[in-house]
Formats: sequence, C-alpha cells, structure tokens
Amino acid sequence: MTARSTGRRIRPSGGYELFMWYFMRLSGLALVFLAVGHLFIMHILNNVETINYAFVASRWTAPRTGWIWRLWDASLISLAVIHGFNGLRQVLYEYLSAGGRIVAGTVTWALTAVFIGAGGYSILMFQPDEGFIKEHPLKIERTTEISSASAPPASQPISVAR
Amino acid sequence: MPQTPRAPHAYQSGTLARIVDGLRYGGGIGQWSWLAHRLSGLGILFFLIVHITDTFFVVFAPDWYDHTVAIYGGVWFDGHYYWPLRWAFRVAELGLIASVVFHAINGVGVILYDLWPKGSLYRKPILWTVQVAFWGIMLVTTPIVLYPLRKAPDQPAASRPAPPPAGVASVVPGR
Amino acid sequence: MLSQAELIDPQARTLTVRIKRYNPEVDEKPHWEEYKVEADGHDRVLDVIQKVKWEQDDTLSLRRSCAHGVCGSDAMRINGSNGLACKILVKNLRSDTLTLEPILGLPVLKDLIVDMKPFFDHYKSVMPFLVNDEQPPTAERLQSPAERARFDESTKCILCACCTTACPPFWGDRKYVGPAAIVNAHRFIFDSRDRGAAERLEILNDAEGVWRCRTVFNCTSACPRDIKVTQTISEVKRLLMTGNIDLDTAPSVVIGN
Ligand code: HEM
Ligand code: SF4
Ligand code: SF4
Ligand code: FES
Repeated sequence: MTARSTGRRIRPSGGYELFMWYFMRLSGLALVFLAVGHLFIMHILNNVETINYAFVASRWTAPRTGWIWRLWDASLISLAVIHGFNGLRQVLYEYLSAGGRIVAGTVTWALTAVFIGAGGYSILMFQPDEGFIKEHPLKIERTTEISSASAPPASQPISVAR
Repeated sequence: MPQTPRAPHAYQSGTLARIVDGLRYGGGIGQWSWLAHRLSGLGILFFLIVHITDTFFVVFAPDWYDHTVAIYGGVWFDGHYYWPLRWAFRVAELGLIASVVFHAINGVGVILYDLWPKGSLYRKPILWTVQVAFWGIMLVTTPIVLYPLRKAPDQPAASRPAPPPAGVASVVPGR
Repeated sequence: MLSQAELIDPQARTLTVRIKRYNPEVDEKPHWEEYKVEADGHDRVLDVIQKVKWEQDDTLSLRRSCAHGVCGSDAMRINGSNGLACKILVKNLRSDTLTLEPILGLPVLKDLIVDMKPFFDHYKSVMPFLVNDEQPPTAERLQSPAERARFDESTKCILCACCTTACPPFWGDRKYVGPAAIVNAHRFIFDSRDRGAAERLEILNDAEGVWRCRTVFNCTSACPRDIKVTQTISEVKRLLMTGNIDLDTAPSVVIGN
C-alpha cells in the first residue's frame, strides 16, 4: 500500500515496519495485564518453590477455570514471543548492515515460530499424568520441604490461586 | 598558487565505539530509561526462552519438570539442598520481576508518547511517574520475594527422600 | 571597594578546557588536550575556545560563523551534551572543567569539525522544498494564520545537527534519516500549500525513516532552537497511521519538557 494525498487527506500507508511498530504498542498494552498478572500470581500470591508438576496440572485441568488459565498462558506466550523477538530484530537492525539484517530477520522469525510452537504445544496438548501426581502431590506451604512427606493428597482443596 | 592540502583521511569511529561513546552522552534520565528498557526487554526475552523450554517438559517428562523447577528452591539434580543456589535464584527472580515491572511501566510511557497526541509534550512528568511507580512497586515487592529466605527449608537436606529419576540422571554429567 | 575583576563579573573563573583533538595529517585517532583559560561569567563557550585558539594554540580548528545562534555551524558536544558553543554561557556551566568534542556519529575532519555531508544527504532525501504542481493562482497561495501556525515549530530549524548526532539510534545506524530530516519533512508535510506529503511519507515509512525513532528525546533536549523535535516526529508517525493530516489542529502547545 502507498500513501496517496488527495488534498487535505492522506490514506494511511501500510508496510511492515509500520505494522510491527503498531503491534509492539498494542501487544505491549495486552502484556501489561498478561505478563504482570502472571508474575503476580506465580511469584507473589504463590511461591516458585511450591510450583511443581502437580501445581501446573491443577491449574490447567481445573474443572471450570482450567481453560481460562490455558487461554491466558497461550495468549501470553504468543504475544510475548512475537513482541520479544521483534524487539530483538529491531535492535539487531539498528546495528547491522543490509546482509546481516536479512539473516537477523529470518532467524528471529524462525525462532518466533519455534517457541510459539513449543509453548503452544505444552499448554494446549497437556494431559495430566495422574500416577505421577499421586506420587508427587502439591506443595502448599511457603518454604515447606521439597519432599512430599507432609503434603496433603492432591484431591484436597488447596490454597493456590486458580 | 599553493594548493590547500586535502586532509589525508577523516576519523570515523566504529559502531561499537560510537555506542560506548554514547554512554557518556548527557541524555540524563531519558537516555538511561531507554537503555534500561532495551536491556530489560532483551533480558526478559532470554528468560522467556528458558521458561518455554522448561515448561515443555510437562508434556513429555513430568519428572524432568519437577527436578528442573526444584532448582529454584535450591535443590540440585542430585537431590541435595544448596543454600547459595536457592539465594542466587531468589535474587535472579527479583531481577526478573524488576525487569518486567520496569519494562511494563516504561513501555506504557513510550506508548503514551507515541499514541497520545500530547504525550511527548509531557515527557518529564511521564519519566518521573515511571520512576516513582517503579520504585514504589519494588519497595513492596522486594521484601515479599526475599522473605522466604529468612530460614532454610524445614527439613535438613540429608533426610530428604528425593532420589533422581532414571531419566534425569542420564542428562546430568558426572553422575 | 570592589576589585576590578569583581566589577566586571563576580563569576569569573578559571576553566580547565579539555578538547578532543584530531589532526588528520599526523594522528591515527583523536586524543585529548588540556588548556587553562581565565573566563568571564558572561563569556560564551565559543569565546573560551577562541581564547585557546588565539592565545594558546592556533592549530585548533572549529567551525563558526554568526556567533549568535543563527547559522548553526558551531554545534559540538559540550560537557557531554550537544549544543551551540555560541549559545552557552560560562556562568551556566556546572563545573570548572569544560569538555569539548566533535558531535558524535559523523566523520571527524579535524578537531571539532565534522563532515556534514551524510547529514545533508539525509536532509535532501525528504524533499525539503515546496511541491505543488497545481495551476498557480494569480496572486499568492493564501494561507490562514492557523494553517501557518500548524507547522511553525518545524520552520525554526537551522540544520545544526545537534539533534541527529545526539540520537542513540543514529549512533548505531547512520542510514537512519535522523530527527533533523524528519523535522524538515514535517515543515512541508503540514503546510497547507504543499502537495508532496504522500511522497515524503513514503520515504519516511521505512526502517530507516520514522520507525527507527525510539523516543529517547535526546534530540529534543539538544535542539538549540527549542523545537519539540520528538513531538514533530510523533506527529509524522501518527499521520502515517491514521492518514488524518489534521491541518486545522491547534499548533503544539509548549508544556514542560
Ligand atoms: C509487560 C508489558 C510490556 C510492555 C508495556 C512493553 C512495551 C514495549 C514497547 C512499547 C516497546 C517498543 C519500544 C520502542 O519502540 O522504543 C517494547 C520493546 C521491546 N520489548 Fe516490550 N513490552 C512488554 C513486555 C515485554 C516482554 C514480556 C518482552 C520479552 C519477551 C519484551 C521484550 C521487548 C524487547 C526485546 C523490545 C525491544 C527493545 C528496543 O527496541 O530497544 N517486552 N516493549
Ligand atoms: S526521540 Fe527519536 S529521533 Fe529523537 S533522539 Fe530519540 S530516537 Fe532519536
Ligand atoms: S531540529 Fe534543532 S537540533 Fe535539529 S538541526 Fe534543527 S535546529 Fe538543529
Ligand atoms: S556560530 Fe552560528 S550558530 Fe553558533
């Protein structure tokens, strides 16, 4: 698309850099909720030392809210990966000449595809391994022992945010 | 008529030299915010790559996943607890949180400059708001994140029944 | 009774002047040299440099012409930041050390003189002239005061290059057209008499155009004409997004910066 001036009005132009620039800003706004919200739940409401397989399973397979967390995590991953690798591409473009830019553009988009693929696969295709969860149940209390000795059975209601 | 000698050459510094030289530029808090935005963005991207990779374990190797995330709590693949490991990961976690918080707040500022027609006329107020919001949030967050470090995990490491699963042992060299 | 010196200027001081020198005939790369100069508070940085040149070392080279902030030829890096040597007074210097360097990102020809050709090539690339091939009216092309005010900010540019050579993206990528070229494109894009906006926007809608700008604002702080440089760049960006040239909008009001 090209800009065309008809007297006082000019049609907006399209173009790769304009589109990506706009995308950076819109995805940034979405990421304020998705990324900061994710950190708040995982690092402030919960504690990374209590996160294990059973915790992930309890979130993603919760009867009513599971799909919300999966949708959240999938959107977070897709937007953050595109935003992050495009940011990396912009930084690299700033310091590279024509040839290097072609390489940088190709590599960053290829990595974008790989990591959205890997992340999306984990989130959407996840099937809980019930046997493993029984052996290694949830860890609840902060600073609680890593071992599962004192943890309650996974079926019991727990205090993690979901 | 004497000819004016032409300069034999001009001095042109390389890209890296210019960037380093630019660090001395008096751009003040605006230029440091830009640099911090860039470095935090790249840092978060690096973490995200690691994080997508470790989360990938949940679909095909639950035991790998548990042993990987246990490192955050200071438990190495050998099942032993090492407190410096736990401290290092806590501090790194705080760094990640700080990076995201700064990048998010400053990012909203950048969006205001660009999308709000008057945004770039309010540069100083926006810069200071970003600073106040960032340090305010970190002041509350830092103690919460570091609080669990006040005492070691309840059980002594030796008594911990955490033999590594067969699958993991093969990926840990020297075991 | 006041001494003579105090009568002339109570803020007279001895400055340590550090200058980044480069002589293309003998030097591989620039080096620092130091001078001591007795300066009056009302002296300009330019006067200090001329004292060095006239009284201590006449090989020192610099560009200057008007000495009154009009021609834009003595842009240099003064105590770290870009500015015109003829517009900064000694009494406003924060320290007694005065550090002078050529502006960053253009080839250094000698001492404080840089090669401005790359800068002017970027300037020319955005067609900084009135484009209108419509039938000329019998009188002048009329313009309302509001239409004139719409681009008043960007008419003030004196092409000194303080902004472009203060811009971190330009340090990394010298193919970036830079803030000065965008300011001068803005000058014509928002002129109601001009018809070349589409072509200019096409040039600026590029990785080397407005999208290279990371809103660092170094350009705005450096501009000796107090042009809201980043604001003019943002106006061009928004025009590229919306297509709304909003010529009637009130001119950018001056609030803080
Ligand atoms: C939390 C909300 C976020 C907001 C509001 C946000 C906002 C922004 C904005 C507006 C830009 C463009 C800066 C410019 O053009 O000058 C940007 C750049 C960038 N972002 Fe984010 N972002 C967020 C999260 C993330 C995340 C999660 C990552 C990592 C995956 C990331 C990585 C980057 C990178 C690498 C850049 C390029 C930096 C540069 O161009 O200097 N951002 N961000
Ligand atoms: S606002 Fe844009 S043009 Fe100005 S110094 Fe910053 S990046 Fe460069
Ligand atoms: S915009 Fe300001 S700093 Fe840039 S060239 Fe023009 S007068 Fe100089
Ligand atoms: S000498 Fe003309 S602007 Fe300074």
